[in-house]
Amino acid sequence: MLILTRRPGERVVIGEDVLVTVMEVSGQTVRLGIAAPQGLPVYREEIWLAVTEENRAAAEAAAAAVRCWQGLRRARTRGRAADLLARLATGVAARLVRVVADRPPALRPFGCSAQRPS
Amino acid sequence: MTTIQSTRFGAVEIPAEDIIEFPLGLVGLRGLRYALLDRNPGSNFFWLHSLEDPALALPVVDPRLFFRPLPLALADEDRERIGLDDPAAAQLYVTVRIAPNPADVVVNLRAPLVVHGGHGYQVLNSAPGAELRVQLFAPADPPHARSTRRAGDGAPIADAA
Repeated sequence: MLILTRRPGERVVIGEDVLVTVMEVSGQTVRLGIAAPQGLPVYREEIWLAVTEENRAAAEAAAAAVRCWQGLRRARTRGRAADLLARLATGVAARLVRVVADRPPALRPFGCSAQRPS
Repeated sequence: MTTIQSTRFGAVEIPAEDIIEFPLGLVGLRGLRYALLDRNPGSNFFWLHSLEDPALALPVVDPRLFFRPLPLALADEDRERIGLDDPAAAQLYVTVRIAPNPADVVVNLRAPLVVHGGHGYQVLNSAPGAELRVQLFAPADPPHARSTRRAGDGAPIADAA
């Protein structure tokens, strides 16, 4: 890492077109002025990290939710098919089929509850 | 017409005019070209799907449907990039963090997406109350109930007309 000592009013030039000016030094705080081309966004590090994390989390949560909905749909389809069979069947066979139909949908692997996100 | 092979939605055809160029990308994500997919017409929720990464899609929604007035303050540089003095004249979206429980669904009001003239930018919103994670639906308030609230005041809101 390049380490430079600068006084208020002094500048650092990065590449051809980024200019960093030390505006003010006061106790633990340094105020910087940064002139950069429009195509080069400048962020405070903690904000850049937080927004990055939020974007990735939104994409990942969505992927998980889609898997969750697909799981719910499959579980419901299985439930409906079993219900239909149960109605058609009689006696011992019906009881057996009902046991299958009453099993809670296999949701745990999808990490979601039976509630569909709005 | 461009066809993407989405890992979620299979083959999706995207008309050229629906492609949005993000010259600076989304913060922390690769890719400069996206399209808004309306997979659930009428829901007001869209998928911002990458044209370059078949597995990358973010759910987005126009925050103005839920937050009135929407706190919005952009830096001059961002206004210049977008090419609009009034960002309210552009399409505006926020990323949604989906969760199984609606009360856990949050949106990012701090870094909204502004889309105008085929270009999009993720900008920083410095308005008070425009936090990184703001609850979209309050627990006691179903999404279709008609009421409004301001971002950050913690009261229930929803107006997904």
